[in-house]
Amino acid sequence: MLLISCPNCGSRDETEFHYGGQAHVPYPEDPAALDDRQWAEFLFYRDNTKGAFAERWLHSTGCRQWFNLLRDTVTYEIQAVYPMGAARPDRAAAAPESGTASTAPDSTTTGTAAPDISGTSTAPATSAGTTAPEGASK
Amino acid sequence: MADTAALNGINGLRHIRRSPASHLAAALEAGSIEGTVVLREGPFRTMVGLRVDPRSEEGARVVAVAGGLPLRCGDVGGADGVRVLWLGPSEFLVVASEDVHDSLGGTLIDSLTAALGGAPGQVVDLSANRTTFELSGTRARAVLEKGCSLDLHPRSFPPGTALSTEVGNIPVVLEKTGKESFRIFPRASFADFLGRWLLDAMREYASPEVP
Amino acid sequence: MADLLPEHPDFLWHNPDPQKSYDAVIVGGGGHGLATAYFLAKNHGMTNIAVLEKGWLAGGNMARNTTIIRSNYLWDESAAIYEHALKLWEILPEELEYDFLFSQRGVMNLAHTLGDVRESMRRVGANKLNGVDAEWLDPQQVKELCPILNISDNIRYPVMGATYQPRAGIAKHDHVAWAFARKCDELGVDIIQNCEVTGFLKDGNRVVGVKTNRGTISTEKVGLCAAGHSSVLAEMAGFRLPIQSHPLQALVSELHEPVHPTVVMSNHVHVYVSQAHKGELVMGAGVDSYNGYGQRGSFHVIEHQMAAAVELFPIFARAHVLRTWGGIVDTTLDASPIIGTTPVDNMFVNCGWGTGGFKGTPAAGLTFAHTIATGTPHDLNKPFALERFETGALIDEHGAAAVAH
Ligand SMILES: Cc1cc2nc3c(=O)[nH]c(=O)nc-3n(C[C@H](O)[C@H](O)[C@H](O)COP(=O)(O)OP(=O)(O)OC[C@H]3O[C@@H](n4cnc5c(N)ncnc54)[C@H](O)[C@@H]3O)c2cc1C
Repeated sequence: MLLISCPNCGSRDETEFHYGGQAHVPYPEDPAALDDRQWAEFLFYRDNTKGAFAERWLHSTGCRQWFNLLRDTVTYEIQAVYPMGAARPDRAAAAPESGTASTAPDSTTTGTAAPDISGTSTAPATSAGTTAPEGASK
Repeated sequence: MADTAALNGINGLRHIRRSPASHLAAALEAGSIEGTVVLREGPFRTMVGLRVDPRSEEGARVVAVAGGLPLRCGDVGGADGVRVLWLGPSEFLVVASEDVHDSLGGTLIDSLTAALGGAPGQVVDLSANRTTFELSGTRARAVLEKGCSLDLHPRSFPPGTALSTEVGNIPVVLEKTGKESFRIFPRASFADFLGRWLLDAMREYASPEVP
Repeated sequence: MADLLPEHPDFLWHNPDPQKSYDAVIVGGGGHGLATAYFLAKNHGMTNIAVLEKGWLAGGNMARNTTIIRSNYLWDESAAIYEHALKLWEILPEELEYDFLFSQRGVMNLAHTLGDVRESMRRVGANKLNGVDAEWLDPQQVKELCPILNISDNIRYPVMGATYQPRAGIAKHDHVAWAFARKCDELGVDIIQNCEVTGFLKDGNRVVGVKTNRGTISTEKVGLCAAGHSSVLAEMAGFRLPIQSHPLQALVSELHEPVHPTVVMSNHVHVYVSQAHKGELVMGAGVDSYNGYGQRGSFHVIEHQMAAAVELFPIFARAHVLRTWGGIVDTTLDASPIIGTTPVDNMFVNCGWGTGGFKGTPAAGLTFAHTIATGTPHDLNKPFALERFETGALIDEHGAAAVAH
């Protein structure tokens, strides 16, 4: 459950909100002038950032107002809340590891929690470690 | 609700009006525990949806009719039996007794409409949109806390405030009317579910407390 | 008690170091990457290839899914590829010489509203025309097939009927991965774990190598099978994908005596349930609304799913949640996958299977291998090209896929 700070109502459960996807996607100035490729970009293509992501949320059971969040899509940490229409706050300095398409090692699937598959072992990953949901298989 | 002569408006059809939780009346009475937690429906309040910029000129005109618009989340405005609940920065729910409804000889909605005039905004009769549950007693807060994640302690939710939130997964406006009393405004179609949910949440308080 | 699982052998594949160069590199060692490598080797004789996996083999969505296999999708294009996959599932245990407990116990998709009923009946009709086994069941027939289902009208969303595909079912997904991996290994494919792709080498618009945390590897061709991380890899290669990655969660109960003979899915109340061979109840939820690479979602989603499950199956009220977990699913706007070429020469992509790609594993492997080997799509995956988002020829499977495939 995310705890989201609505700019109008304060901290509320995620269940009170609706997700609106990527922020700062302007409607094309002249839609008729776009070619199919550009129109597809506008309609179907959104950033899918791993790291700090600017996105829209609607406080649907509260004040029914839209606002923007800057949220890390890996840690889910909310880094900034700011009004619609405002520019994305620059948090690059505050979150150095969370650029787009991070090529840094992914803490979520690999790392120490993985079973030891180094060396000469050719055993299958029978029982995954603590973060590998062994039960997923059952 | 008293079906008095004064309420004979609505083309004389007032008596066939049914409130969204009327079918639960007996159950609400049976499930209430006098002195501990009591639940009843307070139906047919006059409710008006109001959209206006409170800081504008038309906002000032509306204030003259409604008796004050709340400016922050939680605040309740209004005067003389009319309460104005804050829903958003420019959206409010005006709640008043049934008899001020224009169909019954009142003038509330007409006056609000006139006050807004041609300015940007909205005055909509929402009296049939929500019903009201009135929950009171020493355990009222404990009942709500089973399905509401807001901090309902009087320190952060004192009498005279109201919040839009969820109770039992149902979107409601929750108003604190007294030290141990609440009004809950669900939309009509959720009245049955929420009424039963509240009854279920109250049930444990009918048994002697286990120390 | 329920079935005993087969003992798995100790040595299924080797753990080689990456070579300097390969004819093709598959990024992602989940089910799709392994199946692709298998068919590249078996059908196209490409054995000088590697599967690069940043974590451990099949530890992504392949380890996390609820293993439902079915082919009752609405549109011709989908029916063709999913039904082909189902036919492959029927022969793969023998071909791979591995009993991965493919169990054709049938799958039911419940209808709870008139809208559901209409959509379901339409889909049953479309399925029959496409040679996919499909039936419409009334509530009584639903009850006969799955006696523990509550078909009374005393629930929030009463069961108004169901589509039923008898040949559908479940399989043990980790064994599926190991079956493919062992065959790949036998055929000479290098399966390289703990090898994360961090960038691509290009010559003009042509990909010529991959950068990894274990060095640079040159290659003629690259096939992306990274599921939830597809966008991240595409961005490294310099193009975009119309994909959003979301958490998708599931859970299991403790072991129980067999009580649930089939698979029941309900799009309307957001839950799907089967009972695994050992006896756990396996349940999946809907996706979390927000984009997420965290492999975890929010608890209210699980709560919602459990509420629905207990209403449909009152007997489950006494079961316990043992574990919950999440994967990263790569969703598209038409709930159909993307399998084909990319704007980068010699780079191919298989992604967008979202919440329902386990069932597609064999067909994804078969068609993607064909695409990589020949440079042009197989007939089955031609309609699933990236270009459909430009031409508008979408394959909207939200009805059949809905909250989760
Ligand atoms: C909870 C849940 C329930 C599901 N239930 C079902 C179901 O019932 N039926 C069904 O049909 N489908 C289901 N699915 C969907 C199905 O699991 C996926 O569509 C399918 O597994 C995706 O293909 P894959 O196995 O190749 O993915 P994955 O197993 O996720 O494989 C992708 C691999 O790529 C690796 N990777 C990523 N980035 C890099 C990199 N830079 N370098 C190297 N490797 C990288 C990852 O570590 C991962 O191992 C479910 C999914 C989830 C999460």
